Amino acid sequence: MKNVTIYSTPTCHFCHAAKEFFKANNVQFTDHDVSSDTQKRDEMLQKSGQMGVPVIFIDDQMVIGFDEGKLKSLLGV
Amino acid sequence: MIKQYDLIIIGSGAAGLGAALYSGRYRLKTLVLGKEFGGETAKAGTIENYPGAPAVDGYELMNVMKQQTLAISTEFSNDEVSGIAKHEHCFEVVTGKMTYQTHAIIFATGAERRRLGLPNEKELTGRGVHYCVTCDGPVYGGKTIAMVGGGDASVKGAVLAAEYVNKLFLIVRGKEVSAEPINLERMKTLGDKIEVILETEVKEVVGKNKLEKVVLSRPFKGSTDLVLDGLFVEIGATPNVLLAQKLGVVLDERGHIEVDNMMQTNIDGVFAAGDVVNHFGSFKQDITAAAMGAVAATSAYNDRKVHGELCEMHAVPEHK
Repeated sequence: MKNVTIYSTPTCHFCHAAKEFFKANNVQFTDHDVSSDTQKRDEMLQKSGQMGVPVIFIDDQMVIGFDEGKLKSLLGV
Repeated sequence: MIKQYDLIIIGSGAAGLGAALYSGRYRLKTLVLGKEFGGETAKAGTIENYPGAPAVDGYELMNVMKQQTLAISTEFSNDEVSGIAKHEHCFEVVTGKMTYQTHAIIFATGAERRRLGLPNEKELTGRGVHYCVTCDGPVYGGKTIAMVGGGDASVKGAVLAAEYVNKLFLIVRGKEVSAEPINLERMKTLGDKIEVILETEVKEVVGKNKLEKVVLSRPFKGSTDLVLDGLFVEIGATPNVLLAQKLGVVLDERGHIEVDNMMQTNIDGVFAAGDVVNHFGSFKQDITAAAMGAVAATSAYNDRKVHGELCEMHAVPEHK
């Protein structure tokens, strides 16, 4: 099983959409709320250079934003 | 094989979903095509002025609207429309995956957020420069940011971001902030956490790999340099009219799709609703968008009743 991590905020609609996509496809994921967890925010910035969410990692592959096509391809769903 | 519909709605924001609710109840076979679900409402944060839905998240409101239309058999696809052709009284709608035939089309394609149009802006997007404060504002907990724009969306965004940030500058080109009084009141309750800079524009965004500062059009506290962690741009939107334009739909002098009071464009069977039209001027709200969608669907239904059989007579050829 692939290791899926999403960095998100509670008010971000693309984050909601990505998490709904994972749930609909029975993909287990770890969610880091970077509005409250500054350590994870810094980790996201260091890994991606991004302050925009969502930032998603499928194993070591990074996806910036909710790109359904790319997620489907990386997850094989 | 070409899939056939009575109505295809392009766009799945408040206008598109308002149209879908009514078209489903008119029993029109309806498909909603929208690459980005929820339109501007999904990005708007908390919505407090949609009747019957007190203080609801915009994305959630759009989801509820979608569920309401699914219950009456409306179909959805997030395919992006790449082209539309007219065949007498039928329309051929092409996406990357499918070709559809439809008797009528509603353009509910919304509007694209305006950029500042500055050098370096694209490179710094997501790295300090942002266009969605509900998405990325909360990332700036404890930081200093600025919001560009003096309208209601800008003030609402500033109030939301102020929950998280240490300091927020509201940079306004005009002589005053123009927002709903309730949002202005909320901004005032935040005291000097939000500082308004009037009659000022952002001339440069500066930074390497991440935003470091902006250069203002005139000095603020003795300097045109304003050091920032983040900059949010909320300066209005440009209507998404490209597909409609290619089909021959006439635009108004401000670049919106021109419609009559029943949301009819210059082409029979083609209607438009929401932020892509200028029906209510700058008053762009969920309630007006959904209402325009409902009217457009009613017009599509009436059109179907009058000459619905013509599309079958001039069916789109199976050449794909």
